[in-house]
Amino acid sequence: MEEPVDTATAILASAAVLLRERTFDDISYRALADEVGISERTIYRQYPTRPHLLAALSNWIEQTCFPLPPFVTVSDFRAAVHERFRAFDASPAYAYVGARASAISPTLDAEPAYITRAIEAMLDVAAPTLNQRDRRRVAASLRYFSSSMFWARLRTGFDLDAAEICDAFDGAVDAVLARLPDAIWAKP
Amino acid sequence: MTALSGTQTAILGAYAELIEELGSDDVSNRVIARRAGIAERTVFRNYPTRVDLLLATAAWIEATLFAREESHSIFDLPLAIREAMHRYDARPELAHVVAETAMRGMNGASPSPGRAHLEQLLDAEVPSLDPVQRRTVIAALSHLDSVGTWVTYRREFGMDSRDIADAAAWAAEAVLDSIRDRVTPRQAT
Repeated sequence: MEEPVDTATAILASAAVLLRERTFDDISYRALADEVGISERTIYRQYPTRPHLLAALSNWIEQTCFPLPPFVTVSDFRAAVHERFRAFDASPAYAYVGARASAISPTLDAEPAYITRAIEAMLDVAAPTLNQRDRRRVAASLRYFSSSMFWARLRTGFDLDAAEICDAFDGAVDAVLARLPDAIWAKP
Repeated sequence: MTALSGTQTAILGAYAELIEELGSDDVSNRVIARRAGIAERTVFRNYPTRVDLLLATAAWIEATLFAREESHSIFDLPLAIREAMHRYDARPELAHVVAETAMRGMNGASPSPGRAHLEQLLDAEVPSLDPVQRRTVIAALSHLDSVGTWVTYRREFGMDSRDIADAAAWAAEAVLDSIRDRVTPRQAT
């Protein structure tokens, strides 16, 4: 891992270290301050509330531990999501932080995640004549089934491992895409 | 959900009200106690930690404010989902709290409270699915029939309540398409 360059990043890197031994709820600003070697006050200045910290930590983990493989076609998209689910399974504590952060009231920017834009771009290429209503329906479904929330729900609520979660994801994607007529898919 | 005492209902109701007024981060037990008209230590005695209180509140909100009409067929689920999305949209702060609580990855945070009911409906109407098909359908429907759908569609796509209800119900219909031709004929009873 590279050396953190600024205080905000140093706080996130230390929070990630603490996450290996305790849950996010059990990481107090006091403990975090001790870990970084700064004052509690400095943490409050960077992250005025715990939701701010959670959102920033999730973004940092996402970029550092779960980079999304690029995809253009639907089959690349499936492969990219499988890889992510396997990465989540290997670092569940980190993945839960992502699932949780994606559920809170937005605190930082309200920008959609990169994967949302990538799914929309994929559909524009794969199905250029798709009407706007169906495009949103399909994009939203694919986005939601590829989310860390889906992984977290199936792991906690259904006791599934990464391979089984990938199967459930494929089944859901098949069902969604089957709703579209064959003729809308661009011919290669 | 286990039966709540009158005091517990008062605590959870007061906390839910305060979350809507102040956000979930800024509500102390002292303020909750004052709103519920009880002593602060009564809050502690019923809910020793903040997480206990949050889990109980989320379950209470799901069971009361976000309760849905019971579906009598798995094929009715898209209707229930549509209505649920409107309900979440009317109480955005509470919707976020319930969504976040379900994603904590811990015991007690039940991310799919409606799962058992969905399984009952599916087994009654479409008993011929193999275990993997069954799991795939239940997982997809449980995921769609949750507040996470409302949060994600709103946040990632900027959809309003009408668009969210439409897109979520549409996806549920897509999942149901895969089992539409598998329904067992009704038995005369």
